[in-house]
Amino acid sequence: MQAASSGIGYGLKYQARCISDVKADTDHTSFLAGTLSLKEENEVHLIRLSSSGTELFCEGLFSHPNEIWDLVSCPFDQRIFSTVYSNGETFGAAIWQIPELYGELNSPQLERITSLDTDSCKIKCILWWPSGRHDKLISINEENLYLWNLDVSKKTAQEEFMMIWQSSSTAFPYIQTKPQVQSQDSAGMLHKLSGGAWDPHDVSSVAATCESYLQFWDVRTMKKTISVECSHVCSVDYHPQKQHILVTAEHESGIHIWDLRKPKVPIQELPGHTHWTWTVKCNPEYDGMILSAGTNSTVNLWLASTNHEELTTERQVDSSARWVDPLLNTYSDYEDSIYGLTWSSREPWIFASLSYDGRVVVESVKPFIPQK
Amino acid sequence: MEANMEQLLEKIMSVQSRSDSVNTSLFDKREHIEKLHRTCNLLRKVQFIYDLPDRLGKCIKSEAYADAVKFYTGAMPIFKAYGDSSFQDCKQASEEAIAIIIKNLQGKLFSDSESIQVRADAAVLLKQLDFPVNNLKTKLFEKLEQSIAGIQLNPVEISNVFGDCSAHEAAIHQFVEAVCAFRVIFPDSDEELVKLAQDLATKFEYVKSRIGPEYLLGVLRVIWNDVLLIDEVLQEAALSSHSLEDGSEQSSLDVVLDASTKAVLQGSMNILMDFRKILDDDSGILLRLRELIIDWVQEGLQDFFRQLEDQFLQFSGRSNPSIQAHGLAEGAQGDKAFTGLVLVLAQLSAFIEQTVIPKEVATSFSGGSVRGHESGPAFVPGEICRKFRSAGEKFLHLYVNMRTQRVSFLLKKRFTTPNWVKHKEPREVHMFVDLFLQELEVIVKEVKQILPHGRRKHHRTDSNGSSASSRSNPLREEKLGRSNTQRARSQLLETHLAKLFKQKVEIFTKVEYTQESVVTTLVKLCLKSFQEFVRLQTFNRSGFQQIQVDIQFLRIPLREIVEDEAAIDFLLDEVIVATAERCLDPVPLEPPILDKLIRAKLAKTEEQNLISS
Repeated sequence: MQAASSGIGYGLKYQARCISDVKADTDHTSFLAGTLSLKEENEVHLIRLSSSGTELFCEGLFSHPNEIWDLVSCPFDQRIFSTVYSNGETFGAAIWQIPELYGELNSPQLERITSLDTDSCKIKCILWWPSGRHDKLISINEENLYLWNLDVSKKTAQEEFMMIWQSSSTAFPYIQTKPQVQSQDSAGMLHKLSGGAWDPHDVSSVAATCESYLQFWDVRTMKKTISVECSHVCSVDYHPQKQHILVTAEHESGIHIWDLRKPKVPIQELPGHTHWTWTVKCNPEYDGMILSAGTNSTVNLWLASTNHEELTTERQVDSSARWVDPLLNTYSDYEDSIYGLTWSSREPWIFASLSYDGRVVVESVKPFIPQK
Repeated sequence: MEANMEQLLEKIMSVQSRSDSVNTSLFDKREHIEKLHRTCNLLRKVQFIYDLPDRLGKCIKSEAYADAVKFYTGAMPIFKAYGDSSFQDCKQASEEAIAIIIKNLQGKLFSDSESIQVRADAAVLLKQLDFPVNNLKTKLFEKLEQSIAGIQLNPVEISNVFGDCSAHEAAIHQFVEAVCAFRVIFPDSDEELVKLAQDLATKFEYVKSRIGPEYLLGVLRVIWNDVLLIDEVLQEAALSSHSLEDGSEQSSLDVVLDASTKAVLQGSMNILMDFRKILDDDSGILLRLRELIIDWVQEGLQDFFRQLEDQFLQFSGRSNPSIQAHGLAEGAQGDKAFTGLVLVLAQLSAFIEQTVIPKEVATSFSGGSVRGHESGPAFVPGEICRKFRSAGEKFLHLYVNMRTQRVSFLLKKRFTTPNWVKHKEPREVHMFVDLFLQELEVIVKEVKQILPHGRRKHHRTDSNGSSASSRSNPLREEKLGRSNTQRARSQLLETHLAKLFKQKVEIFTKVEYTQESVVTTLVKLCLKSFQEFVRLQTFNRSGFQQIQVDIQFLRIPLREIVEDEAAIDFLLDEVIVATAERCLDPVPLEPPILDKLIRAKLAKTEEQNLISS
């Protein structure tokens, strides 16, 4: 399906991977995007959608020391965000604050609130609790999860617990200084964590994507709970309204919708993209509306059924005449693979996507919203 | 006027008062009469009970069993309430009479000489009398089974005694009648009857080809579920798909495909020919049933193809979890077998959709319109075609997915193991290219066995990736003339702007059922994965140069395998560009060194080939 170009575009100067919705801003629809350039000076753009909804303009432009691999806006404070960055060799993470009255300064500088430094390997992403004010953060690196106590006023982030990924099942309540020996599979490949999501319904439950499965943790006891098998999973997103439902994006197998009460088999499978499905996001308001971005330079809009009973009864009936294509629309106005994708929480029919060449496209899905 | 009204009113009042008085005076008498009436009824009933035994006896003599049963069941409640006290004698006498009736009814039920209706009635009456009918049922059923055993269907005997088929026919007819009777008597016993008929039908299997449709006729009358016949065919088809499981040797994949296509085609053709023979027969019942039979057959075929597709899907569904269980690290034989099978299934579905249904099957049907309009025509070739087309495409995609997953694993290992930021100078082409090329070889071999050659130009509308991207355009300028140096320099000078002006190449095209298409798609997807992996790393100069060498080496073999050379070249260039972007110090290798390394690798490969051959 080739859609006509209907989105609003905005160009970042360099290549970029990360875009995040500024949830805490209830007056405007804004997004934060960060660039990924090895040699140039990197920037964080605060992009705002005009009130008429037809234009994107840059509300703020801030320089950032290193290339940004992950950027998340703080859900309760619109001027705070976290980044995971790298200078090419090492990785680090920090919490930043946009200065007050940045609009009036000539070249506003980001204030570094605190760094989240851990001694060992490559940090991958930072999770904020999406459902409100919570003073804890989780950082996921390739081998471990860390739980941090964040105190914005004191500008500290205290590492509270480290959840060890690959050791024996006992949890360690104190901070480890040496990484544990990791288990290896038969092929000698380390199972590395690559990302995750925090359950918006349960502040103590976290999902982390490993290579061939999704591992769940209980943050209070620091123990692993369940794991769900899915090959090459790279992105996970919880359903914002229904408990126990989440969506995963797998490189080749597409999109799977899971009910955690029955984790063996997904409730529904969607084909995803021709090459890799990179990221998947559930709409904050419309049940079953899912966006997926892939390396075939398209963004797909899906309408999935998250109701298990509904799906099983449908299968029994011969639904050949009634089969409805879950793919609502394909947005293909991109030049490169799309790595960044986010819904706006203020206007849930709007999403922003970011392709590798630095192009932000904001689109509206209003024509596809199912009529109730 | 008013005076008249008053008079009227007076008169009405007086009439009313008089009628009231009459009413009250007659009230007692009315009650009395009603009481007497009730007593009269009771007496009549009592009289009836006393008369019951005599009446039953009369019914037995005249064989009016229905009346007898009616009388008896009418009197039952009274017997229950007062049978031990007042009406003892009556009760005993009537029970004796009823026992006689039951015996007679049973006798009727079992006797073959009675008409069917009578027997059915007898059964109904017995049921009303709360007689355990099921015992009778099973007894009768046993009789039927015995009669089947009596029908000898020895193929040798039949072929020898072909002329003496009348006796055989008679036996069949008898059986048929018995079963019909059974059906009428015990209307809810269809399942068992069908089973019985199935047994008979299996006996017929051997005979079918020799005797021809005549005996099928007899069976058809009894079997009124058409799927039964198709079931046999399904069994045959299931056998053929079970034989697919044995296709574990790669070289036999095309044999398997041939066998299964033939089975499907021949099988359906045979059935149709048989039915045609039946229909051409002009016997009386057939003329009446003709339309119905055609509908049945259509339904049956529809069902058959649906079930075949389900079986196919189940097959591939079965193969998936086991692959996940194996883990992609193992290149087990079982794994290879499954990918081959998936490809076979894809081609088979395409074959069914393109050849079997439209040409052979649909054209054999004409007529058959007994089914009501609400249910639509029984055999919808369009729907079946659509199902198989989508199934075929699904299988093709599954195959492509399975193969790309394997290569992805290989590439992942290649890119996540070394520390690219501290990479050493490239000494030689990395050995992962060998593994990569090996995988491609396997794919090419597999695909060659099953899919046909094809020459089809790609159309823009078939693209399922973004065709507005810089990667989509049917044409591309030839780059073969440019030398290596030029290419190296131009790659590094490329900016986004330059890319936009360059002509675009289509990457995500629709996969066709041809060798070239599948192989090209696979290679394109693998190279795209390559690019994605590269983008996740950071390289130093040597790392970048290593990638450059590897890519340059891959150019030649890939060009040979693939039909769309421009796209492959483009993708390889994209990988280099992506690596350069992720490199801290992107200085490419000098072309002479590049050539030297590649030549060294080629020499080494040749040596190894000579040693192994």
